[in-house]
Amino acid sequence: MGQWIIAYTPLVDLFLLHLGFAYAQYIVLRAGVFSLATAGLAGIGAYTAGVLAVKLGAHPALGVAAATLAGSGAALVLSLPLARLRGVYQAIATVAFVQIVYSVNLWAEPVTGGAMGLNNIPRTAGTGVLAVAALGTLYLVWAMERTRLGRAFNAIRQDEAMAATLGVDIVRHQALAFALSGAIAGLFGALEAYHAYALDPGQFAFPFLIAILSYVILGGRNSVAGPLIGTAILIILPELARPLAENRMLIYGVMLILVINFLPRGIADSLILAWRARRLARPEPAAGEP
Amino acid sequence: MLAQQLLNGFVVGGVYALFALGFTLVFGIQRVLNLAHGAIFMSGAFIAYYTVAAGGPLWLGLALAVIGSGLISVLVEIVCFRRLRRSGDEEFGGIISSIGASLVIMTIAQRISDTQVLRFPFETFPVIIWRFWGLRVSALQLFMLALALALVVVLGWFIYRTAFGRQVRAVTQNERAAMLMGINPVRIHMQTFFLSGALAGAAGVLVGLAFSSIRYTMGEPFLMYGFVIIILGGLGSIPGALLASFLFGMGQTMLTAYMPSAISGLNEAFIFAALFLLLLFRPHGLMGREAAGALRGRR
Repeated sequence: MGQWIIAYTPLVDLFLLHLGFAYAQYIVLRAGVFSLATAGLAGIGAYTAGVLAVKLGAHPALGVAAATLAGSGAALVLSLPLARLRGVYQAIATVAFVQIVYSVNLWAEPVTGGAMGLNNIPRTAGTGVLAVAALGTLYLVWAMERTRLGRAFNAIRQDEAMAATLGVDIVRHQALAFALSGAIAGLFGALEAYHAYALDPGQFAFPFLIAILSYVILGGRNSVAGPLIGTAILIILPELARPLAENRMLIYGVMLILVINFLPRGIADSLILAWRARRLARPEPAAGEP
Repeated sequence: MLAQQLLNGFVVGGVYALFALGFTLVFGIQRVLNLAHGAIFMSGAFIAYYTVAAGGPLWLGLALAVIGSGLISVLVEIVCFRRLRRSGDEEFGGIISSIGASLVIMTIAQRISDTQVLRFPFETFPVIIWRFWGLRVSALQLFMLALALALVVVLGWFIYRTAFGRQVRAVTQNERAAMLMGINPVRIHMQTFFLSGALAGAAGVLVGLAFSSIRYTMGEPFLMYGFVIIILGGLGSIPGALLASFLFGMGQTMLTAYMPSAISGLNEAFIFAALFLLLLFRPHGLMGREAAGALRGRR
């Protein structure tokens, strides 16, 4: 048992970190914003924490707090212009944001180390810290589901005009979703920095964005369990397929196509829908029968 | 110097146009972002390279690349989008399945090329350089520009002057109404994907010839630029994508040529910041319509 845990610790750590990023992405999609900014916000958080630790020797707790603030602050500022855009245009504007963060991190070599990366970050976040952060995030999202806020997000996502007539302030709610998402992304960015010894700008670029998005969409983008399931499958699957060596990505691609074709709303959402449909279809027991 | 850079930008813009037109055509008709478009572009370069490597002439390689990429694109449509379209989940689901297709195509290319960077043999395309009015123009540049413009004109003729194009535009506007008029949308979708893939394949060959670095990941930056271009032009708008391609190609070349070297690392940041600002003042791109970018089903 002990051996097993040691062998799989890196995998568990990776899963916990990416779970955080997946929920950061999930919150904005829940509120009806097609934002892909999570990768950029995570990058801002990671570099804030990393630079504070390496250049100023700041305490990790301070670094984490600063990264969380920086993430949510950047997200709030970003939400103002994004309120003017809708749908795919939001997606592309946020891709542009991710790319800007990437190029600035790459260019600002004296501060960030540029393409060589930011190295020698003291490792202060172990599996325990990651687990606490991931569970906290999971609880936050699960609790939000049950409040007025969660219902407001649902209303905005399903029909913006209807939500507005019901008195939901759309701009304010979406800004709030952004700030939350930015805070979570910044927090986990900082944890990534304090976990991995080193950072490089390419870590938070386009491929990372696509990976996070696929966790949420494959798992299911409406139910709370969706990102959990999606992240678990997409992190563990390549590991299971390790014996296939060079064909690993091939199998991964085929799996993505098959799963989304047969469970088109994502795994959790499709299963929940199917379950509900079955319950509704079941005939009521007749009253007079013995 | 300025004229030279303008010319270079124009040639690059032509290649971007080939890539982006197919991308925007598919978005216009299906409202899906085909993230396998970069991989299809790459497969064009691969097909042409292996044809030439096997001793075939370049024109044959180009023809096979255009047809082959078109067929791969049709396959992507059938495997990735058809079933999702039926249940109405293609907007988000299509992102995942086309990422899957992209991974599959790229892994196959990686295996075939053994992760090597491939180059067309020297003089596959004759190296001829003319100098006049202080300009330096290679035959390859002229060929790239001519092929790009010719394909764009052919595409324009197809879309705006033939019965097929009328059907495509009808399905783009309203699939149900088009069906009631006796148009078979399934066939139109397949034909659109073929056109889109064929254009991307041609772009792949040109890029492979010009920059002589054919690699299984060569589609990735183009996918990013393609995104920018079709948004800049207005989603689904063919004239918009054309205009945006040339603007983008020129802008990129100009920045590379004239930026002081201290901040030349920020070129990408400037381009994307400009895109961001442009979207704020024209939320639907240069020539896009209001409804084009809206998500259809948010459930």
